[in-house]
Amino acid sequence: MSNALASPAPAPKPTVDSVIQSRRQNRYAKGTFFALLLIMVVWSIKITVIEDTDWERIGSLGKVFEAANRFIGVDISLFPSLIGPTIETLMIACLGTLLGVMLCIPAAWFGALNITPYKPITYPLARLTMTLSRSIHEIVWALFFVAAVGLGPLAGVLALAVRSIGFIAKMSAEAIEDIDPGPVDAIRATGGNDFQVVLYGILPQVLPQVLSVVIFEWEINIRRSAILGMVGAGGLGLVFFRQMNTFNYHGVTSVIVAILMLILLGELVSYFWRKAVI
Amino acid sequence: MNRAMDPRPATPSGTPQRVWSRFKFPGSLIGYAVWLSILVFLAYTVEYLDIPLDRLFGMFGRMGTTLANRYYPPDIEYIMDADYLEYVIETIQMAYLGALFGLLASIPLGWFGSYNMSPSRRYVFPIARLISMGCRSVHEMIWAILFVTIIGFGMLPGVLALMFFCTGFAAKLFAEEIEAIDMGPVDAMRASGANLFQIMLFGVFPQVRVAFTGIAIYTWDVAFRAATVIGFFGAGGMGWYLKRNILQIETERVAAILLSIVFLVLISEAISAWARARVMKMK
Amino acid sequence: MAVLEVRDLRARYSARGPEVLKGISFRVEADDFFAIIGPSGSGKSTLIRCINRLVEPSGGTIIFYDREVTKLRGRQMRLLRRDIGMIFQEFNLIDRMSVMDNVLSGRLGYTSNLRSLFRIFPRDDIQHALGLLDRVGLLDHVDKRADELSGGQRQRVGIARALMQNPKLLLVDEPTSALDPKISREVMALIKQMATELKVPCLCNIHDVTLAMEFCNKIIGLQDGNKMFDGPTEEMDQVMLNKIYDMEVL
Repeated sequence: MSNALASPAPAPKPTVDSVIQSRRQNRYAKGTFFALLLIMVVWSIKITVIEDTDWERIGSLGKVFEAANRFIGVDISLFPSLIGPTIETLMIACLGTLLGVMLCIPAAWFGALNITPYKPITYPLARLTMTLSRSIHEIVWALFFVAAVGLGPLAGVLALAVRSIGFIAKMSAEAIEDIDPGPVDAIRATGGNDFQVVLYGILPQVLPQVLSVVIFEWEINIRRSAILGMVGAGGLGLVFFRQMNTFNYHGVTSVIVAILMLILLGELVSYFWRKAVI
Repeated sequence: MNRAMDPRPATPSGTPQRVWSRFKFPGSLIGYAVWLSILVFLAYTVEYLDIPLDRLFGMFGRMGTTLANRYYPPDIEYIMDADYLEYVIETIQMAYLGALFGLLASIPLGWFGSYNMSPSRRYVFPIARLISMGCRSVHEMIWAILFVTIIGFGMLPGVLALMFFCTGFAAKLFAEEIEAIDMGPVDAMRASGANLFQIMLFGVFPQVRVAFTGIAIYTWDVAFRAATVIGFFGAGGMGWYLKRNILQIETERVAAILLSIVFLVLISEAISAWARARVMKMK
Repeated sequence: MAVLEVRDLRARYSARGPEVLKGISFRVEADDFFAIIGPSGSGKSTLIRCINRLVEPSGGTIIFYDREVTKLRGRQMRLLRRDIGMIFQEFNLIDRMSVMDNVLSGRLGYTSNLRSLFRIFPRDDIQHALGLLDRVGLLDHVDKRADELSGGQRQRVGIARALMQNPKLLLVDEPTSALDPKISREVMALIKQMATELKVPCLCNIHDVTLAMEFCNKIIGLQDGNKMFDGPTEEMDQVMLNKIYDMEVL
């Protein structure tokens, strides 16, 4: 008995040949896509690296290794004079992170959907600030601040502070948006004012995450601080620059070693801090 | 107070009276000591670095006027020049080649540096982690300067610098993703007699594919941001114009170049955000 | 000869931790559908996983046909694993891949690296896969992604995948724990059916004693890493069950 509402004819059962064919078609499609991608990449390499590089000047691979070899070896006599700049670099990183955290307080407040005071204006403003801060390279910020406040560590501190806002405020705002509203309601219910709500309801919930983010950014700031000196913002970067200019390659390597030591210190501090806090 | 009138419930006899205090010894003491020493250190740094806190606010006022006078209006015509635009295209190509090769290198490096899937936990794993940490710790500008010194000016050192830099952090992110997978499918592949390469192919990569795409997009972001500035040290791209104009104290042109850098990075970020949203939906 | 002979198998999870298996010995013959039962933590899963060394035994010997499993390394171990199929409690399918690719992945032990990269499998494999998928009733779902299937369907893909290896022994690790009772019975029946058809002996870790007694011909009862019972299902009685589970078993 035929039924107008009978289910449509079932799809044809797969056979070995149909499966093999569809797999093959699939492979060809993917293969073509990647082949095109590869062509594009090769073409890019050709017109940028290959045509742009002065191959004659480079000479052979041997000469390249020779040039690289110049860096191998450390100028030990330089190390005592590196202590000052290293401490300076560390300090710039610390102050820069601290200032950044202070600047992040309003930024994260405005940038969190649940506590921003006037959503149509303050939220987009905060988001724009964070994006701007993150998108501009620290060297560009450093150049800007050197132009504004002159050479020296202050420019470096300001550059790092402003650069850090992007990440710290963004993560903090996300942490604030993710909080459990329960404690906030509870504090409000007991009659707390806005400040107390933040202090007892919000802060305890986001503090671990925020601290973790701050430590992370502090470590990165040590990296950044070391090179900001190259554009005039103080610290090891200046020494690096001078060593390069006097072609003291072993000296350059010494500076790099100093930087790596500093970063290692940062990693150790961060590791122990995490153990203690989290 | 007369015990009979005390409304508080009596503690059952026999239990010791416990006193709660906010300040626990020695835990609290150590905590406060740490914070105090951090604050002292920071105060000292302000001294050491000679930062004029009192003059600071005055400085911002002067900063405003300096910028208004010398950096405004930015010389827009200068950056619309065809030569400059060529450099812009160069910057973009350098960025994506550096990011691409960096990502390609960081896939095996991340695999070897993942605790659960590394071919040898004793040797390969720590070496891979060390290499990736090393690449990460050296700032991309230092990589650029090193390569420029070794190879000369141009885009090749730029691409190499970006590649080494990207490998460092992409490998770490990859390794973390691999360490977070569900080991069930990996067990299944092991049980059927597959070798490590096949286990990675079928057991690991399908699980991390989406996260990898996210990491790839992030890598591009970072690479592009660095590529715009890398030319400052001779490694190709628009940064070279920046340096030239700074040396010539053509401040209005510098302003224009900085604006173009900011503009391009913002566009790149917008595209990345869109791409990331697409990837999230693809999950 | 016996398909599998286990002698004084011992296992522990960390060098100084407690022994999870305290010297288990038994034999599996070619027509056995062996059940391993026991309370949680008795070592059932560990025992199964020691057979193909997903878990490393700390002592004892395992002999599969004429090969000493406990002594194999690297490539030899992989070749041996090809001959032992495994079905998992959590199915362990590759979620983002299609049913067909999941079943074919059972043949990876026979496929070269290059072919694996491009997912090229020989015609015979595809034919075999289709046959198995038909047999487990999933022929209409061949191109679906594995995570689009229900629990019972996923386990059936797992069964097909294990059988793709043409295994000489099937290890089954709590196949039904993640499934509801009706589907559990169907899946157990399917495994039993196909194992009997293809003449593959099974070693099955089950937590549901009723299913064990219904489908299996021999039982091992474990308690706290010790073997309490080893014999045909008929000899299992309530007294012994109580002893194994140390409590009333429903």
